[in-house]
Amino acid sequence: MSLCPELNFNVDHGYLEGLVRGLKAGILTRSDYHNLAQCDTLEDMKLHLQCTDYGALLSTGNEDLTVSLLDNRLKGNIHTEFRCLRAHAPAPLSTFLDYISYSYMIDNLVLLITGALKHRDVEELLPKCHPLGMFDQMAAVGIAHTHTELYSAILVDTPLAAFFQDAVSEASLDEMGAEILRNKLYKAYLEAFYAFCWEMGGATRDVMCPILEFEGDRRSFIITVNSFGTDLSRGERRALFPSCGRLAPGGLQLLAGAEDHEQVKAVADYYPDYRLIFSETEDGSSKTLEDRFFEQEVRLNALAFLDQFHFGVFYSYIKLKEQEARNIIWIAECITQRQKSKIDNYIPIF
Amino acid sequence: MGAFFRSEEVCLVQLYLQSGSAYNCVSELGELGLVEFRDLNPNVNTFQRKFVNEVRRCEELEKTFTYLELEIARSLSPPLAVSPPSSVPSAPQPRELMAIEEESERLARDLREVSRNRDNLRNQLTRLSQYRGVLIQTHPLTVSQVPSSSLETVALLDSRQDIRLSFVAGVVHPWKVPSFERLLWRACRGYIIVDFREMEERLELPDTGEVIQWTVFLISFWGEQIGQKVKKICDCFHTHTFLYPEGTMEREEILDRLQGRILELKTVLSQTENYLQQLVCRAVAALPQWKVSVKKCKAVQAVLNQCSPSVTDKCLIAEAWCPVRKLLLLQSALLEGSRRNGSGADSFYNRLPDTSTPPPTLFHTNSFTSGFQSIVDAYGVASYREVNPALYTIITFPFLFAVMFGDVGHGLLMTMVALWMVLRERDPKLQTSDNEIFQMMFGGRYLILLMGLFSVYTGAIYNECFSKGMSPFPSGWHLQPMFQHYNWSDDTLRGNQYLTLDPNVTGVFLGPYPFGIDPIWRLANNHLTFLNSYKMKMSVIIGVIHMTFGVCLSFFNYIHFNQLSSVFLVLIPELLFLLCLFGYLVFMVVYKWLVFGPQDSDRAPSILIHFIDMFLFVKNKDNTPLYNGQLLVQNVLMVIALASVPVLLLGKPLYLYYNHRRRARVGEERPLVTESSSINTLQGDVEGGGPGDAKELDTADVFMHQAIHTIEFCLGCISNTASYLRLWALSLAHAQLSEVLWVMVMRISLSWQGYLGSVVVVVVFSFFAALTVSILLVMEGLSAFLHALRLHWVEFQNKFYSGTGYKLHPFSFSSILNPL
Repeated sequence: MSLCPELNFNVDHGYLEGLVRGLKAGILTRSDYHNLAQCDTLEDMKLHLQCTDYGALLSTGNEDLTVSLLDNRLKGNIHTEFRCLRAHAPAPLSTFLDYISYSYMIDNLVLLITGALKHRDVEELLPKCHPLGMFDQMAAVGIAHTHTELYSAILVDTPLAAFFQDAVSEASLDEMGAEILRNKLYKAYLEAFYAFCWEMGGATRDVMCPILEFEGDRRSFIITVNSFGTDLSRGERRALFPSCGRLAPGGLQLLAGAEDHEQVKAVADYYPDYRLIFSETEDGSSKTLEDRFFEQEVRLNALAFLDQFHFGVFYSYIKLKEQEARNIIWIAECITQRQKSKIDNYIPIF
Repeated sequence: MGAFFRSEEVCLVQLYLQSGSAYNCVSELGELGLVEFRDLNPNVNTFQRKFVNEVRRCEELEKTFTYLELEIARSLSPPLAVSPPSSVPSAPQPRELMAIEEESERLARDLREVSRNRDNLRNQLTRLSQYRGVLIQTHPLTVSQVPSSSLETVALLDSRQDIRLSFVAGVVHPWKVPSFERLLWRACRGYIIVDFREMEERLELPDTGEVIQWTVFLISFWGEQIGQKVKKICDCFHTHTFLYPEGTMEREEILDRLQGRILELKTVLSQTENYLQQLVCRAVAALPQWKVSVKKCKAVQAVLNQCSPSVTDKCLIAEAWCPVRKLLLLQSALLEGSRRNGSGADSFYNRLPDTSTPPPTLFHTNSFTSGFQSIVDAYGVASYREVNPALYTIITFPFLFAVMFGDVGHGLLMTMVALWMVLRERDPKLQTSDNEIFQMMFGGRYLILLMGLFSVYTGAIYNECFSKGMSPFPSGWHLQPMFQHYNWSDDTLRGNQYLTLDPNVTGVFLGPYPFGIDPIWRLANNHLTFLNSYKMKMSVIIGVIHMTFGVCLSFFNYIHFNQLSSVFLVLIPELLFLLCLFGYLVFMVVYKWLVFGPQDSDRAPSILIHFIDMFLFVKNKDNTPLYNGQLLVQNVLMVIALASVPVLLLGKPLYLYYNHRRRARVGEERPLVTESSSINTLQGDVEGGGPGDAKELDTADVFMHQAIHTIEFCLGCISNTASYLRLWALSLAHAQLSEVLWVMVMRISLSWQGYLGSVVVVVVFSFFAALTVSILLVMEGLSAFLHALRLHWVEFQNKFYSGTGYKLHPFSFSSILNPL
């Protein structure tokens, strides 16, 4: 069975792969974006979205059409599709899909912790959480005061517990700590996910590992850039870098020592892909570093559909769909705020 | 039938719709389903079109309707299937639309309010019932706990004065109990006592209407800090907590009060429910009509969005394809539309001259012809005004199928199934069946009926019924004369397994069987050899006739499209080639059948050898000629056939080329003519216009196409003739398979004796019947169907049918309301 996974891939996962490829065909194209960008009001956008796979997404319900409603609906849409995939998934794929949802769980967790530190009401925060990362114990996060408490009381039952082992400390939670916690969890998560995909072997490894490597490297770069001007020491910073990327270990070592943007760029210069990303940010275009990374991510994820018999398509589909939601929201924001000049800054997918 | 031979004549009309009455005119056209509108603003986005606001209004209305539908589905008891509206309303006038808008809005508002009220009441009721459940369930717990805890309190009083036992009581969703309990335990480190009890009553979940059995919990704890934590945890698991008085007396008091309020609420709730039902019933009554109205309105607006406004903005200009026969109807529809509006200016149409795009194809089909038309359409929709092969398919398709499926019994079964579908065709249950495969069969019921009937006919010719022969007439062969002539005795019969009947002995063969194949052949050991030779020749004859007919049909195309030259340069060479080679083969087969009888059968020549010799221009000494002067005739035919190939290859391109050159020269000399003709075309007087007048002739392209066509045709003649041999192969396979089924299954049961035998017959027969239906009827039927389809698509239609047209989809309300 392990000799040639392609042979019986379709027995268990053929239906879902077909489903996800069908869903992928519904991802908005350049001409769709072009049309959306011409809209003058959200109503126009709604009319146009009706011609796409979103269909009646916006035409039900009685609330006024706002950007936040649009956002909720889009997220809900992804959630519905994901739940459908997850409910039909048999063993290895179900774990894989769970891994996808863990990253959203981490984000939700950190959101709630920071909210609780600012004494915001949990009820107010819950709707802001991503529906993909909802879990039962989520709302109780506020009762924990230290990492250990958080772990032993609340998270020990959740799937996140496995990623928490490195992060357990007696230090009490604060805002900086929450951010560090997020990065630590993410590091553990990415490494575990990478190991899982590596274990899967076959086309899944070929497709997923580059994507996760890129994801890890992106986090390393972003952490470095964001840590300038904070009191994060080199050692601490080094501990946050995911080790599954292509930067490891030499590049990470250099990054840990970087002091300003120029040095980060110097590190990126050693790697052709990243050099492109960093050099493009220099040439005065309006795109930020983050956008460049997103573009590269979209490119990688779109590649996943070229292969067959692997799980990468599920990950890529969710990520592309998320990017699409970001694009639509960006266009909607530009329309409502009358910032037509910036409307073209979305990242087209296909 | 003339309308079925060629597609309907369709012309492009320009409709000038007065802006006041445009809506009515289009709605009138929608009712009739006459014309197909063309989109005149393909480059305009949906939201930039003229009537986008009206479309939006319709969408808003549909949104309201969706809400009403949801509410009906949720609240109506007993639930009922929405029946189609009894009378179909026409597209609503603006005033009517306003009324619908107003009324539906009001209804939705009322419904929303009442159902919100009802939900509130229900929620309250659930809460109260939960509270009651909590109090009842926890009562024994606290009663038993109080003394012990008071003891403890007494014991602890010495050390800590402020300590007090507090309770949190509530209900939690049963699924969440384990994680809730665990979290409580972990977070509070065991400084609490939790009790869980299942509530006796089952209550509805307010959001989903799901009925669940809630779990009651009672948490007893000491201290403020832990209390905070417990409350937070309770919040996070969406539990409902209730005030829990400590004294037993107080609790009983609350319980009494609760009982009273629950009763009160129940009466209020039932009244609200009644009112809600009334509202919902009103919605149920009105909704189907409204939906149809709004759908029609939306469709009309969508059409108006495709029109372009005129310069003066007084009218809209639409372009549409309309069948020429229906132009008067179009006129009257436009008048009717204008009249209904009461506006002075009439809408009118203007027939546009020939356009660059060929008009769409329209066939009027009925339930009988639609199945056959769809067989042809599946290959390709006929080009405009092209000969429609569907007309001939009606007979040839079932016939070719039956040649492969010849069996009286199987044919009868098929006929009966089809007849059942035909007789019950008005049954709505069959018409709206969800089963796709059944729908496909149902759509082709007449096709299946004809296939069945023809199978009975060919089965009778083959003399087969469930692989058994029938002898309605006495056989033409007789044994008695053999006995006399050869002095056969009973011993001879016993001693030999096979004896030959000699037809040359007088009295043995008295003449052919009156109909079909003599049943005596079933006993002969050369049965298969005889049938194979017969079926093979029959297949070739049928094939050559079918193909020749196809080639002849192209005559009507050439005549209609004014290509008289092609008749001489394409059709006649093709016919000559086909008939001189394969027509002659057929002639030889028939000639040999007629001329050579039993007495000179040993001297009969081989047709195959003759045919090969004909190609090689040689004479074979061993093979006696069929008739005198055969060699000469064959050589002449061969030369004609070969000579027609270069004509076919070069004739048409050269003709076109010279024609083009001549016309170009004439055009240079007299430019005035072209000018005046262009004015004519503008006015729409000239209908056809000269073909190839304006377009440049691409010589290489024409030569290339003709070369491909020639090669395809000449090679195709050979391969297609061979392809018709599938008729023989499949009919042989069918006969053999049914025989195998009889011999291997049914005959076993017949060899049993006694009572047991009858039981075995019943069992084996059921097996036999199942196999007959599944293998012989369904599987073999499908395979024969497929081959008949191929013979039509490839062998027949490629002789004359281009199939490059597109269908006319008229704008009609009925197709919008009941999409297929």
